[in-house]
Amino acid sequence: MESVLSVIVAKYNYWVYVVLMMIGFYAMIGKRNLVKKLIGMNIFQTAIILFFVSTGVKRGGGIPILDKYEVLEHGVRVASVDNPLPHVLMLTAIVVSVSVTGVALAILQRIHREYGTLEEDEILEKIGR
Amino acid sequence: MKTLALLASLAVGAVLLYGTKDFPAWGDPQSPASVHLSPHYIQNAVAETHVPNLVTAVLGDYRGYDTMFETVVIFCAGAAVVSVLRRSKS
Repeated sequence: MESVLSVIVAKYNYWVYVVLMMIGFYAMIGKRNLVKKLIGMNIFQTAIILFFVSTGVKRGGGIPILDKYEVLEHGVRVASVDNPLPHVLMLTAIVVSVSVTGVALAILQRIHREYGTLEEDEILEKIGR
Repeated sequence: MKTLALLASLAVGAVLLYGTKDFPAWGDPQSPASVHLSPHYIQNAVAETHVPNLVTAVLGDYRGYDTMFETVVIFCAGAAVVSVLRRSKS
């Protein structure tokens, strides 16, 4: 019982992201509305971003902003500062995801202008005839 | 169709949950992500760049080219949006 509880406490953050990714993945492949598909992709990306940021957490660690003069004089204890590299990488990922979302919304607006609908099956019907 | 999508996402979720078995515990200071490269940045970034914010130091000083081409990504996205939404004269 004790070990099960410790496993839950140690790993539940990953499970939350797996559930978020499942929701996003189901929205991407199961929904027919293209805007809902796009929202599903955003949920998926958010899950990955949260997962990476959570790998940078250290128990007993603070944010990676240091006092410059104190560090130059006394140095810094690595375990007392969170890992800054996941934050940097996720900043890049957020830029890419915002760009992709913008372009996708533009293409959706163009599709709506062309076919008058955003439902996948109706668009396929109009293309087929 | 919907049941197929539900089954596929449940299968992917099961595989991912199985994969978390080997992950380090949350907040472990000795996790592999925290012991390999980041101690170098934490210890030397302030002395080398004089930037107290480590995220900004890595983003702007160590990985400046990467950040520069990030702005190229934004520019390409803006150009794509404009060219997709432009109405032709005819």
